[in-house]
Amino acid sequence: MSEEILKALMQLFAIIAKQDVGLSKGERAFVENFLRQQLNESAVEEYLTLFDSYIDTEVSNNNEPDENTGHKLTSVKDSVKILGIARKINKTLTQKQKAVVLVKLLEMVNSENKLTPQRIAIIDTTADVFNITKQEYNAIQAFVLNTLLPELDLPEILITNAADPENSESHFILANQLEGSLIFLRIQTVDMFFMKYNGNSELFLNGLPIKSNKIYIFASGSVIRQPKGKPLFYTDIAAQFITENTSINIRFKAEDLNFIFANGNKGLQDINIQEVQGKMVAIMGNSGSGKTTLLNVLSGIEKPTSGNVLINDTDIHKDKEKVKGIIGYIPQDDLLIEDLTVWENLFFSTLLVYRDIPRQQIKEKVDNMLTSLGLAHIKNLKVGNTMNKKISGGQRKRLNIGLELIREPSVLFVDEPTSGLSSRDSENVMELLRELTAKGKLIFVVIHQPSSEIFKMFDKIAILDDGGVQIYYGNPVEAAMYFKKIDNQINSEQGECPRCGNVNPETIFNIIESRIVDEYGKTTGIRKVQPAEWAKHFKNNGSHILTNYETDNLPEYDKKPGWLKQFRIFFKRDIKSKLANKQYVSLNLLEAPFLAFLLAFVIRYIDDPTSTNYIFRDNGNIMPYLFICTIVAVFTGLIVSAEEIYKDRKIRKRESFLNLSRSSYLFSKMGILFIISAIQSFLFVWVGNSILGIQGMYFEYWLVFFSLAALANVTGLIISSAFNSAVTIYILIPFLIIPQMVLTGAMFSFDRINRTLGGGREKVPLIAEFMPTRWAFEALVVHQFINNEYEKHFYGLRKLESTLNFKNVYYIPELKTIAENWKSDYLKGEDNPLKVEDKELLYNEISRENNSVFAQHHQVLFKETEALEFDNPDPAIADKILTYLDHLSDYYSNSFNNINNQIDSRVSEMVSTPQKREQYQKWYNDHYNNHLATFAKNTFAPLPLVRLGNRLIQKIDPIYLEPVESCLLCFRTHFLAPQKNFAGNYFSTFYFNVAILWLFTILAYIALYYNLLKKVFVFFEQKKSLNQ
Amino acid sequence: MKKQIALIALLAFALMQLNVGCKQGQRQEATDLLHDTHDPEGLKMSETMVKEIISSVPNPVEMASVLQRNNVVYSQQLLNPSGNIDNYNTNFQRAINLGVYGTDLIYMNIYDRTVATLRYLTNIRELASDLRLEQFFDFNTLNRLSESSKNIDSVLFITNSGFDKMTRYLINQDRSNIAVLISAGTWIESLYIATHAPTTPENKELINKRIGEQKKVLDNLMLLMNAYEHNQGFDELLKDMRNLKNEFDQVVISYVYAEPSVIEQDGSLVVVDNSRSIVDISDETVQRIAEAVAQIRYSIIE
Repeated sequence: MSEEILKALMQLFAIIAKQDVGLSKGERAFVENFLRQQLNESAVEEYLTLFDSYIDTEVSNNNEPDENTGHKLTSVKDSVKILGIARKINKTLTQKQKAVVLVKLLEMVNSENKLTPQRIAIIDTTADVFNITKQEYNAIQAFVLNTLLPELDLPEILITNAADPENSESHFILANQLEGSLIFLRIQTVDMFFMKYNGNSELFLNGLPIKSNKIYIFASGSVIRQPKGKPLFYTDIAAQFITENTSINIRFKAEDLNFIFANGNKGLQDINIQEVQGKMVAIMGNSGSGKTTLLNVLSGIEKPTSGNVLINDTDIHKDKEKVKGIIGYIPQDDLLIEDLTVWENLFFSTLLVYRDIPRQQIKEKVDNMLTSLGLAHIKNLKVGNTMNKKISGGQRKRLNIGLELIREPSVLFVDEPTSGLSSRDSENVMELLRELTAKGKLIFVVIHQPSSEIFKMFDKIAILDDGGVQIYYGNPVEAAMYFKKIDNQINSEQGECPRCGNVNPETIFNIIESRIVDEYGKTTGIRKVQPAEWAKHFKNNGSHILTNYETDNLPEYDKKPGWLKQFRIFFKRDIKSKLANKQYVSLNLLEAPFLAFLLAFVIRYIDDPTSTNYIFRDNGNIMPYLFICTIVAVFTGLIVSAEEIYKDRKIRKRESFLNLSRSSYLFSKMGILFIISAIQSFLFVWVGNSILGIQGMYFEYWLVFFSLAALANVTGLIISSAFNSAVTIYILIPFLIIPQMVLTGAMFSFDRINRTLGGGREKVPLIAEFMPTRWAFEALVVHQFINNEYEKHFYGLRKLESTLNFKNVYYIPELKTIAENWKSDYLKGEDNPLKVEDKELLYNEISRENNSVFAQHHQVLFKETEALEFDNPDPAIADKILTYLDHLSDYYSNSFNNINNQIDSRVSEMVSTPQKREQYQKWYNDHYNNHLATFAKNTFAPLPLVRLGNRLIQKIDPIYLEPVESCLLCFRTHFLAPQKNFAGNYFSTFYFNVAILWLFTILAYIALYYNLLKKVFVFFEQKKSLNQ
Repeated sequence: MKKQIALIALLAFALMQLNVGCKQGQRQEATDLLHDTHDPEGLKMSETMVKEIISSVPNPVEMASVLQRNNVVYSQQLLNPSGNIDNYNTNFQRAINLGVYGTDLIYMNIYDRTVATLRYLTNIRELASDLRLEQFFDFNTLNRLSESSKNIDSVLFITNSGFDKMTRYLINQDRSNIAVLISAGTWIESLYIATHAPTTPENKELINKRIGEQKKVLDNLMLLMNAYEHNQGFDELLKDMRNLKNEFDQVVISYVYAEPSVIEQDGSLVVVDNSRSIVDISDETVQRIAEAVAQIRYSIIE
């Protein structure tokens, strides 16, 4: 309280006190007491002096004029003064504080029971100025001034007593073991509670002793503990006043649950639990007894092997969709996003829950929640992680719970909320949960070694024993008695310590697990009572059976936002958290350009030792650069995404209860990763290409780099959703990258890889077709070679020239050789001059020639191919073939010269003057790359033409070679083909390959969406365990 | 989910369709070029005649061997710098410089300068493959062989036989202009090296005589090249060659007949042609020939 207010209060007290009878000792003591609560010792003295001086002046002021009028009426002067003070207070105090002031005034007046009309009149005036409604003022007055229960029969009052006073208006809570009454006042307009106690036993309000008949503020989260019996929570009180009953009737029922682990071990056996709304149930048991398993089964995460879990007759494992949103789950681990602040964590979580509430209202909701969690003061702190702590463990836990509280699920499951917390924090957390039950929630809590305080907060406890056997279900305090009784202990009727009221849950477990002592007094490993025996006791007891309760229909939980909105929320949340991590942002932004710089700078060299000019054309590292580009793309793409989903797994676990769209989550992930990859790709290509002097292909390079990185992103997401440790994920990355390096076609020619894998064939080996880098690399090489500013102008002609040259120089002579062999073998008189495969080859190749594009021009057709279909064809055909081939050869030779001359005259024109020549040279040097050309033309092929079975395969100039086959799905062809054939159409290799990369990405997305990789693992694991 | 996939697939398909259009256009264009008929201008020489004249051009090995045997000092500066290859963009330039580099390679090999040969081999391969003649040089073998000086004979053999086969192929394929240019290139480079190699008083006379003997070769070459006068680049070259011929006109070659005799050599009888041709060439003429050939060569290699 500020100095100003205190002064004003002192003045008010003084004015009221001096009325009528004047200041009594008790009143002064009250003021002193009041000050003591607010201030330290020295300040108390100071204000008391001030108070006394006010009294003196008031008295001296009043004495004279009041002689005649008597002290029946308040002087005008006083009235004016009071109005002045009250107005002053009005300006500075909140309504809540004003209510407190009013209560204090009344309490002071009441302290000595000197209720004179003047005093009341002054307080009335004050209340009036304070804008406190008449009704509430009356209630306050009644609450402060009366102690008799019948006089407190007002709707604002709640009485806790051992016996119902049978008032018609006031609320009532039964407290059997309470001596006297606890009286609560609620002031609705300011949402405040006051309390007082008129009994004599030692009660504690939030740990402090309560004095009889003294008025206390009963703040949110307060708890009153009594020596015996359950503590009284704020929410218990508050719940009584909630007129509009928002909660629904819930009946939660688990019937004969059994759960068997994949390895065959029993996890749960015949568990029966029934509960209704507004209860908090503990699940206890020693470690390994299946507490968490039970929680998982009850919450629907795990499916029971037999038995079912019903919420209002809806099976939560069968009708998952129906109950989503109704169930909340708070796992033991953190659900917080490290790089977001406390407020943001709660905010995004809330956004995901509500559809129709405007943003402003959500913000208010979040602020209110943080206030009630006691986290308002740290709302702008980053959450951090356990290694890098920004907020305390208790605060984290409270925030975790807050995430669920704000959503208000009807049934909440909490796994070990107190583990790792101090006893103070533990109690805070549990009280928070306890408050929820007041709102009609049903809460199941797995808890380990709770303190007595916490233990007593539960309405029910379920105790499990080894092997998931249920051995108790019922009241916690009675649990101790139950087990003591079976154990034949003395004092078995005493559930709690008679003096301190403590229940030590450990005694229960000591009894359950007590071991047989051998004749030497040493405990053996054998238990006195086996779990099965406890279970039998429990069954005989019959305490697990719950009589029928009325149930409502399950509410429709359609609060969650739509797909697009979810996407936006996920997206924003992730972006925010990423941007908040400066290290992450700067590393990701610098990684690509740094690598590009390193790579490009290292491999930029001048070929001619005598020159100082860098010439792109002579750089022998362009092909390796393209290759490294693809590897870098895959690598950066994987790295950036490999931990994405894994990192979110806990949050996802919780969010799985919200029935949110997986695809919107994945799309938001991919959206962000794609943006990162797009930026990285841009930076890499920009820096790398600029340094190396690759001109005018930034977009295409970027497109390939980005497409590949995007695919790697999705692949990374698959891994990160399928594996459960970060180490595994990073171990896996080499497995994904190295095969791609080997099978890209850059390091190892496809002609020189193992034949069992399809090496040395006409087409790219099948296994390499599954390597994204192979498509990307091919796209880059083909595009760089064909579409560079130089080659672009000649490519069409050169392709034709290459084809004609190949036919003329290699192909026709090879066919001739075969035909000639046939002829000469025939002349030698061999029985079978034409071998079958030679015959097939001639047939195939001649047919192909007949159908080639050139056939339309030259019309040199071999009409007698059918003759080759027979066994032992007429050797005269050989001569005809030879003549035919000669004609063809002439045609190809002429056409070649024609094209060759055309190219030459074009070039000649371009270099016709020294100036033009210089231009040409520069143009050529800047855009064409000799070494890449060597690679693309396969100049060093050991054989320009190979025979594979009954086919002749061109090995040189793949970049000029059109794919041969043409059908719907035969897009597979030789490496570095300039075009791809698909569905009978030709597509440029560049765009076709990019499309293939995106096809891979779509497939990867499908695998990601259905989590196929994980399913495969689960399948194999199950198979393995079945085999065992 | 399904909708999204369908949408992506549709987009991808649309993209592909766009692509088909342009690509098919290109394909069409390429084959269309075949319709253009090519009519080489000028007189056509008979294949046999071309073959004969080309085979009369001395193999560069001859001149290089003469120089080496007569202790003419090797001079790297005489060679066409390997870096010049970047300047050769037309068939004319490529063909004639293929000859030039071929001669250089042989000259180097005769003098056992194997270190630098690799670069020249690469150049020859590059020019040959640009001329679409790569099939005549097994470069992998050549590379391997040239690694050791012991293999020089093999290298020379393969190079020579490669040149021969190539010439025949070119003539067959109606590309004799290329063959003529290659020959001219080898000859010009040989002559250039011979005229510019540093001679000593002891070997000067012999070398000059050899230079003078080239008069006949030049006459033959000119005859051949006149037939290709209208081909691109030939006219310039011919003009320069005519200047050279003017210088060579100063050379007088007289033929003195003598009875052939039979002598015994290594246990067998051998007929010896005792006729001699006498070459009358002045130092001044040699100098002017050297200048003229340097000018031709310069215009070729630059």
